[in-house]
Parts: sequence; structure tokens; C-alpha cells
Amino acid sequence: MVIGVCSLFPLLIDRLTRLIPIAVALGITFFVSDPAVAKENITYRLKWLINMSTVGDIVAVHRGCFEEQGLTVTLKSGGPERDAIRDLELGHADFGVASGDQVIQAISKGSPVVVIAQLFQKNPLQWVYFKNKIRIDGLTDLKNKTIGVTFGKNDEIIMRTLLVKSGLSDRQVRLYSVRLDYTPFYRGVADLWPVYINTQGVEIGHRLTASGASIAFLDPESYGVFFVANSVVTSKRLLEEHPERVQRFIKGLIKGWTTAVEGTDSDRIVEDVRQYDRDTSRDLLFAQLDQTRALVKPDESFSIGRINVPAWEQTETIMLANQQIDRPVNVGAHLRIEFVE
Amino acid sequence: MIKYVVNLSDYVIPSLGILLKTFGEISSTYAHDVFSTLCVAIIGQIFSIMLAFIVGILGRKTTWLGSLIKVAAYNIQAYPIVALAPIIFILLGDGFLSRLLIAAMICYFPLLLSVVGILAEPITEVEHFYQQTGRMRWQLEVKIRAFENLPKLTTVIAGSATLAMAGTIVAEFIAANAGIGYSIRIALYQSDLSKILVALFMIGITLSIYQGALEVAGRLVKNAWEQ
Repeated sequence: MVIGVCSLFPLLIDRLTRLIPIAVALGITFFVSDPAVAKENITYRLKWLINMSTVGDIVAVHRGCFEEQGLTVTLKSGGPERDAIRDLELGHADFGVASGDQVIQAISKGSPVVVIAQLFQKNPLQWVYFKNKIRIDGLTDLKNKTIGVTFGKNDEIIMRTLLVKSGLSDRQVRLYSVRLDYTPFYRGVADLWPVYINTQGVEIGHRLTASGASIAFLDPESYGVFFVANSVVTSKRLLEEHPERVQRFIKGLIKGWTTAVEGTDSDRIVEDVRQYDRDTSRDLLFAQLDQTRALVKPDESFSIGRINVPAWEQTETIMLANQQIDRPVNVGAHLRIEFVE
Repeated sequence: MIKYVVNLSDYVIPSLGILLKTFGEISSTYAHDVFSTLCVAIIGQIFSIMLAFIVGILGRKTTWLGSLIKVAAYNIQAYPIVALAPIIFILLGDGFLSRLLIAAMICYFPLLLSVVGILAEPITEVEHFYQQTGRMRWQLEVKIRAFENLPKLTTVIAGSATLAMAGTIVAEFIAANAGIGYSIRIALYQSDLSKILVALFMIGITLSIYQGALEVAGRLVKNAWEQ
């Protein structure tokens, strides 16, 4: 009996030896091809709800730009009560989108946040007005006008900066508190109303033009106010501990934005956005895509995602002048320009 | 404690020093805002108490009218005021009237259901005498039931103060241009948690004082009535 069992050992060893290459091959296949094992999970918190302003982020996820970099990215929409920078610090997100003023505000309170890309090279915030009712050829034309601003948000700071530039005091204009309802503007209670030119600007413009109205937009950048809008941020810790992960994320993200901005397949891009924004018609989404492209790459010389350091410095100066921060934060030290050429 | 253990910055959770500094800087402005909110809440509450008593007196009987009022009150209070508020602001603008209406709406329906419940409950041992002697009138019936349930009514009214205050703050947060709710919204836009915490502290203090005053007033009314 013992002899019988012992005689089986060589056979068993022989069989196991034959199985080893198969097991190794299976193991390799499992670890290399299974994305669930190979990919790193990343959470990316946006600044606002998912719409055309986030087209590059959507395209990066839908076209597998992050997968190519070995990352599985979960997009999380933002909103008024959500803050990407807080999420980074609390560990709820790895990357996020925040506006220049949010970043500077956070730095002034000791938040370890760094900027790794700037999505909008032009701030989308502008003021819409009826051309047949008022005429604005220069900032002094704002005198005696009722101007809509969202008190506490960056449009208030931008408008106050424009007023300082114009030499007008607070008493020479009337600042009107804005909410998400445009009725006061339609009724003529306010002469100028803040809008994001690539989303609300398109919608309102379309509606008013269709009803025979003639509208125009006041663009703060035409008067030298460059206030940084949506930018990509991460935590200092992630950057220090996993610089290669940050590099891969930015590579995937920029590829997504490049596809969205320079891609010729606008139909597919619009369809991607429509999966999140079903309330906006296709025609409007095409118009919004064109406007968004102009904000991300206003000119051929701009590389997508590059950080405009002078604009950041100006944003800090404006916030300091408006007492949004109580001391300089040296924002330049928190900008990591090396990730985007 | 969590702030220091997890090493969070002042942006996520403001330090005590920042809270005190913020309190020093904005307490007078916020006190004015809280007072403005409280005034609207009190007027809205008085309005809804009056309306709740009128409708409650009509709905106290187990008639079709009483049942209809109760069912309508249950149904209408189920509508989320956050969804209705923007419509009210569109129709009435963002002035005093909208804030008042929203505050009154939020505290009116729960108040009405409590008042109907209290006034519909007969005090048999007292009412029996008046019914047998033929001296019972609806005014007397209401007086008897209100007097016998005075502590309950006082508690309900004091509780509705919280609803009125919360309603006013919600209204201001959504669309008004004055009051502490409006200031909280601005602080939220500025990502300034210290301002929000100061506002919450001041709301809490003010509401406690107001509710305490209502409880005392209830006791005074009871004493006066008993005498």
C-alpha cells in the first residue's frame, strides 16, 4: 500500500510540473489583461454640474484616455454646496476642478492645494444686455445702470474691479442681487445680467434672438480683467507621493480636452455630453461646444491646459484689493506648470 | 479635535482663533440680519397662528368640512417648500412679502393639524354640564378646549417658532436679498465656513431666547386665565 502511494509521487510531480507553465501563463494573463486589477481608481470632482463646460472631462472618460494611462476615473459632478478643494483634503477626491478665487481663498487658509492645469484660458463670465436699451462702448457707460451680480461669488469681484477701472463708485451704479431666475433681466429691472458665455449665454442668446431682441455681452477681459476660471487641482501630498500618477492623469485629461476642442467628430462629442445634459437641445449643445472651444483654446498659440501665471497673479491682486484675502498668498508657488507644455 | 487629529486646514474646518476673529468682525452685521429674519418669522408665525385657529375652529367638527380641512392640510404640507419657493419669488419678487409667505407656509400646516387635533377633542366632564343646561355655544366650546389644553397649545406654538424661523431662513437662502439666510448663502459662495458657523451660533441663541419668551408668555396667559 505504502509502496503504491509512493509510486504515485513521481507521476504527481510530473503532472504538476506540466501544469506550472499553464498556471504561470494564466496568472500573467489575469494580471495583465484584467483592468480591475491593473488600473488605479481615481475620483475627479468637478466644479459644477456636468454640462458642455466639462466636455473635455467627459470625452476623456468616454474615449478611454484615462484607461490608456492605467487609470479608472470616476467623474463626480459639483454644485454650489460641493467644493473640490475640501474633497481633496478630506480624501474624498484625488483631483478636482476649482476656480482661481476658490484656490487662492483655500491657500490663504492653509489648504495644501496645487494647480496642475488651467482648463479655461478665458473666463466664461460675461454680462448680457439689450443693445436696443443701453449702449456700452466703454466702462464709464456703466454709470447709473442696474447691474446684476451674485454677491459673494466671483462675478461680484470682477464687476467691482471693472468699476474701479472705470473710476465709478458704488453709488454711481446699482448692484442687483442675482439668483438663478432671469425674470428681473427680462423685465428690465436689471440692465446687465451675469452669464457664462458658453452655456447660459448661448441659451439666453438663442431665446432672446428668436424673440426678436438684440443683445450684446460685456466681456471683462476686453477691459483687461483676467480672472482665472476652471482649473485642475490636486493635493500637495498626492503630488509628492505619486507624481507619476498626477502625470498620467493630466496626460489623459489633456488628451480628452484636445479631442473635444480640436476633434472633428462634433456629433459624437455632443452625444457624449447629451448623456448627462438631456434638457439642452442638440442645436444648443453644438453652439455651446463652439463657445467652449473658444474659451479653452482662444488662439492657436495657446496649448490646452497651460497655466497662465500672470492671470493667476492678477487674480490674487484683485482678491487682495477686494479684501477677499487678508494677505498675499504668493499663488505662483502653488502653480505646477511642468505638467502641461 | 478632528481638525487637529486629521490635520485639516482652516479652509476645511476653521480654527477657534479664526472663529473668534470672524465673530468679532461680523457679529454686529449678522445680529442685524438675524433680527431681520426673526421679525419676518414672528410676523409669519402670528399670521399662521391666527389662520390655524380660524381654520381649526371650522375644522374641529367631525363633519365633511372638518374632514376636508384635515385632508387638505395633510396633502398641502407634503409639498416641498424648496420647490415652491422659487415660484413664489418669481410671482412676488424677492422682497419682504415672499419671505413672510414662505415662513407662514412652513409653520402653518403643522400648526393647523395640531390645533384641529386639540380643538376636536371634547372635554366631556366640563362640556356635559353646559350641553345639559343648553348654554353651550361654539365660542364656549372653543374656550373650554383651549383652556384645558393650554400647555399643549403653548408647546405647539413654541415649536412652530422653530419652523417659522427655519422657513424664513430657507426663503432667504433660496432667493431673498436680506436676512441671515441670505448672508449664509454669500458665505457659502465664499467658501467661508467660519462665517456660516457664526451665523448658526447666532440663530441658535436668538431662537432659544424667542422660544423661552413664548413659553413664559404661555405660562402668564395660563395664570391670568386661571385667576
